[in-house]
Amino acid sequence: MVTKLMKKEWNEYLKTGKFYILLFVFIFFAILSPITAKFMPEFIKSLSQEITITVPPPTWRDSFVQFSKNLNQIVFIVIVLVFLGSVAEEKNHGTASLVAAKGIDRRKWVFSKFLFQILFSLAMLTIAFFLCFYYAKLLFPETQFYLAFSSTVLFAVYLFFILTLTIFSSSIGNSMLQSAGIFFAIFIILNILNIIPQVNPYNPMTLPSIENQWIASKVAWGNTIKPIISTVLLSLILIFSGAAYFHKQEL
Amino acid sequence: MLAIKTEGLSKYFNNKKAVEDLNLQVPEGVIFGYLGPNGAGKTTTIRLLLSLAKPTKGRAYILGENISKSRNYLKKIGFLPEVPSFYNFFTAKEFLNFISDISGMVKPNKKIEEMLQLVELNKEKKRIGTYSRGMKQRLGIAQAILSDPPLLILDEPTSALDPEGRKETLDLIASFKGQKTVFFSTHILGDVEKICDMVGIIKEGRLVLNDSIENLKKSHSKRTLFIEVDKPKKLMETLQYLNWVEEMSPVNKNGIILQVKDLQFAQKSLPEILSKENILLNKWELKEPTLEDIFLEVVHNGN
Repeated sequence: MVTKLMKKEWNEYLKTGKFYILLFVFIFFAILSPITAKFMPEFIKSLSQEITITVPPPTWRDSFVQFSKNLNQIVFIVIVLVFLGSVAEEKNHGTASLVAAKGIDRRKWVFSKFLFQILFSLAMLTIAFFLCFYYAKLLFPETQFYLAFSSTVLFAVYLFFILTLTIFSSSIGNSMLQSAGIFFAIFIILNILNIIPQVNPYNPMTLPSIENQWIASKVAWGNTIKPIISTVLLSLILIFSGAAYFHKQEL
Repeated sequence: MLAIKTEGLSKYFNNKKAVEDLNLQVPEGVIFGYLGPNGAGKTTTIRLLLSLAKPTKGRAYILGENISKSRNYLKKIGFLPEVPSFYNFFTAKEFLNFISDISGMVKPNKKIEEMLQLVELNKEKKRIGTYSRGMKQRLGIAQAILSDPPLLILDEPTSALDPEGRKETLDLIASFKGQKTVFFSTHILGDVEKICDMVGIIKEGRLVLNDSIENLKKSHSKRTLFIEVDKPKKLMETLQYLNWVEEMSPVNKNGIILQVKDLQFAQKSLPEILSKENILLNKWELKEPTLEDIFLEVVHNGN
């Protein structure tokens, strides 16, 4: 059943253009990041001929810091906007009640959506990473695969959390607007909690900053084990509680 | 066996009683018309039967299964919502393919083609988003009957159709008589009268009537006669002293409407009186109550 429902999701993403939007955004920023890192210092220097601007020479690390920033800002927003309505809009539109009345397990319906979204996003992220790595290697031959890859794996864990939060918000809310309210309320609360030193090591919101630290220095999996475990646990709680809520919800 | 049975089924929204103490009985194989004014609770009843809403209290059994125990019974139901919503990016064929997938149908292609032909959407290649309301309604009917379920729950199935489409849909529903149970809500009393075996009338969330049309007509019979004679005045003078005549009133030039205590007795006595008084009978009509009469009486008087 889950694969049949995922097939419908795949058709939807192809036919509504969501597939192409996400593909474009991932590829665009994958290629743009190393190019920006390489040529931005020269561009800044060329802006003024009267003032001398000292910019450190770019390195391969700048490509992946730029890539990580783009993933955590623009790609993040696009992913949230595309996925946030996945359950809520079906409830609002009436298709959820039509499908639920066919006797399918509503929890499987939510899982199929989440599974599709995570597999789809990870596939996009993999393509984007290898593209970014290819261009980074072209422009900076000293580019290190392991550090860049490890940082992207960390983003994948963060993405897993963001997608569970998205599906949770969408399962609870009855419209895109309500779901957006729930999503951003939780997102903001977690960011505020991040300033508490005792909470910080367990907070999924610390992951983006660790990504940059890793690229800049070195990979230390031991320091990240706490946020990774807590992020995965929190994600599981979100996906299971979202599915359980939707299972009992009136449509 | 009952296809649908509810026991004290109730649904409250805050303090509003949308459905109150509903005791519905729909035998298997019948076509059941569910009638009621706007806001009476028809759609809420359907949502409760489909587990799309949770009852505040009471129980419901569909094809013998207690619906609060498991939702597996839904696989035996074909449902058409009042305003059918579909995935607008699909074509009709793609949508039916998806429905056959989630309904667990094996080799559904032939059946899908049949259904598309039945609802005249077999040549339609455009996406559902471009369809008119009538086309969506027809596609809704196709998806409801695609997996050949034994029970159909249809919420206003003919509301958006043109007269031809309405006739075809009613003929289709009528063809299920004895094979499937059809429970459908509607405002169109003529549709119910044409094809239904049984009706339920809901008013302000309460079921005020649940019976066969035949029984209803018997029990709501007004024992009223319309006769047209050449000497109406003379006949009225004769009839006024008879104890089996309850009421009479002249209509038009030569007509009389008679309300009698015992219809069969009146049917036997009147010809004798006419013959004795030498009155010529031009027209004789037994006034049977229509479903509309019954509906209006029940809705206005609650009886």
